[in-house]
Amino acid sequence: MSDLARDAARHLRDNQLEQSELAALLLRIWHTPSGWLGSLTSVDHKVIGKRYILTAFAFLILGGLLAVLMRLQLAGAERKLLSPDLYNQVFTMHGSTMMFLFAVPVMEAFAVYFVPLMVGTRNIAFPRLNAFSYWIFLFGGCFLWIAFLFNVGPDVGWFAYVPLSSLQYNPGKRADVWAQMITFTEVAALAVAVEIVVTVFKQRAVGMTLDRIPVFVWAMLVTSFLVLLAMPSIMVASTTLILDRLVNTHFYDTASGGNVLLWQHLFWFFGHPEVYIIFIPGTGMVSMIIATFAGRPVVGYTIIVLSLIATGFLSFGLWVHHMFVTGLPQLGASMFTASSMLIAVPSGLQIFCWLATLWDGRPVYRTPLLFVLGFFAIFVLGGLSGVMVASVPIDMQVHDTYFVVAHFHYVLIGGAVFPLVGAVYYWFPKITGRMLNETLGRWNFWLAFIGFNVAFFPMHILGLMGMPRRVYTYTPELGWDHLNFLSSAGALVFAASFALLIANVVLSLNRGERAGDNPWDASTLEWATSSPPPPYNFSRIPLVTHRDPLWAEGVNLPVVAGLSVERREVLLSSIADAEPHTREASPEPSIWPLLTAIATTTFFVGSIFTPWAAVWGTPPIAIALIGWFWPTGSKEDEE
Amino acid sequence: MNPSSAYKTPLYWLGVALGPAAWAVNLQTIYAITPHACARPTPATIILSIVMALIAISGTLISLGAIRGDAPEEWTEAQGGRVQNFMAWLGVGSGIIFALVILNQLAAALMISPCLR
Repeated sequence: MSDLARDAARHLRDNQLEQSELAALLLRIWHTPSGWLGSLTSVDHKVIGKRYILTAFAFLILGGLLAVLMRLQLAGAERKLLSPDLYNQVFTMHGSTMMFLFAVPVMEAFAVYFVPLMVGTRNIAFPRLNAFSYWIFLFGGCFLWIAFLFNVGPDVGWFAYVPLSSLQYNPGKRADVWAQMITFTEVAALAVAVEIVVTVFKQRAVGMTLDRIPVFVWAMLVTSFLVLLAMPSIMVASTTLILDRLVNTHFYDTASGGNVLLWQHLFWFFGHPEVYIIFIPGTGMVSMIIATFAGRPVVGYTIIVLSLIATGFLSFGLWVHHMFVTGLPQLGASMFTASSMLIAVPSGLQIFCWLATLWDGRPVYRTPLLFVLGFFAIFVLGGLSGVMVASVPIDMQVHDTYFVVAHFHYVLIGGAVFPLVGAVYYWFPKITGRMLNETLGRWNFWLAFIGFNVAFFPMHILGLMGMPRRVYTYTPELGWDHLNFLSSAGALVFAASFALLIANVVLSLNRGERAGDNPWDASTLEWATSSPPPPYNFSRIPLVTHRDPLWAEGVNLPVVAGLSVERREVLLSSIADAEPHTREASPEPSIWPLLTAIATTTFFVGSIFTPWAAVWGTPPIAIALIGWFWPTGSKEDEE
Repeated sequence: MNPSSAYKTPLYWLGVALGPAAWAVNLQTIYAITPHACARPTPATIILSIVMALIAISGTLISLGAIRGDAPEEWTEAQGGRVQNFMAWLGVGSGIIFALVILNQLAAALMISPCLR
């Protein structure tokens, strides 16, 4: 008997069963155990993805409330709502929360939920690592916010420049909390990046060649590589800062041979790609929404993918434009000016491809597309001011003013948050099985669009008038109060748009119109399964014959047969041509990722107080990892 | 796979690799040289940028040579499944974009005095 025949005899396979029988068996194998303990063991990418999305949006609300506080403080001259010390904590918490606890995690969260569905597999690669990454992210975010509630919130800006964040100028634990929060969130982000890369490269459905991968998946693949290459830099920076503060290692102590500019290089080598880690997934969402609502394949698929890859590479050659005022030689600075201006080229190529898609299609102006149109207007304005500040002389003038605040909010909110909210409206039906209310959605869009522009456009003028960033108040004779009042009013309208989004979600969860499998008549594989998807995603793995499989094949997709229905199993395929290679066991639910995350959290928190945490904090992690990987004799361990 | 396609296969993606690699080498090297260029003027940065731009363009040409057949109709093209052509077109575009970036940096080196702070 051949190996193949022996294997076939040992495992019951999906091609031996009727549909209803198959679905019941798959549900039994792939379901998450019930009860609160069971839910803590889940390794289902959809369960973890939902948790990630909800947690990231919770941090968005918290960060947004801080923004409202700042705008109330700045609405008039010499207001006394916040003290200078609290204001320092508030703007640091706002920036850190938005960048590290909302923007990056929420994009990865959507990838955790949708990438496996879009590539036609049953779970993400390394599902237990996925669970671990969520717990670490949650604990890191809670650590930062609990510290803030106890008046130990960081007050050194989201960039924590040395020497401001050194022990000499920042005694206490505020800077340590910031630095260790970085460690938490970067560990989580790196774990997800590894999962996404492996899922995209090895778990694509048979036939999904490189040129059939959905654009959002390409965007997340490029983003994941950016995370893998950029985040080690900030982890080195934050760890060396903690070491400087805890055991006097002198990395940034100029009196002992250290170098403060080293911090800026390390931080911005991460910090600029970070912008693209947030923006590139947004462009992926835009491509998906435009194709669906234009009712045609996106124009220039190859050009869009090229733009994503080129943007990813170029993002690593821009970091010095954050350091133009540090006294670097002008020739060196101008090299980075060149890269900074040229990165507009791939972004511009994408925008022309999207406009051509809308031009040649029959656009249906539903809420997701409205948010994409808002993205066009806002992001292009942000891009234009970006080209301005890429120029050294202009940057010298507006550096550290509200002009820069206006610029990066136009880029980040326009480039990422508008597509993200559009994506919420687009994918909510798939996640919940219900449609969001369209009327509330339109109100949501117009409040967001008007509120955003009223809040942030005046900041360009305030910056040009000389208003510096990070000041807790200003005197009336400076003449900044009218524009600040207008900006604060816009911020309240913008905040109201998010309140409306939350109300829409809450109302629609129970009373929304039922969505069906594919309410938008979209073309990609996540719409080929039920809404919400079953724990096993697809009862039979689709065979992909076209870049837009649901438009090419309709609902009756050809399928691949032969996967086991006696254990969790995924199909591995080749990187370029997605030819089937092998069947691989997929891990079952486990409590060990949570226990490992608790042990890791104890170590991380302890290590900002004492170096002895390395002695007593690491053995529990080792024990948890041994428990995690200990062979249990279950089906997932069978070869 | 026939012998001729086997011969061409390793090269079709070369533009994707050569363009960014040439730009990375160019940027890192000239950025490292810049602080010393005022005290010891050297044409090294200009020569390096020209060589790197040529390398990026060579990636474009190699990828261009690997593209097969005429451009298909849009719906046929959207069917996908032509991985080699896809990667080759990525290589063509990638080489051009990164050659453009290198040439911009070369322009800066030609126009700006290395002694300017």
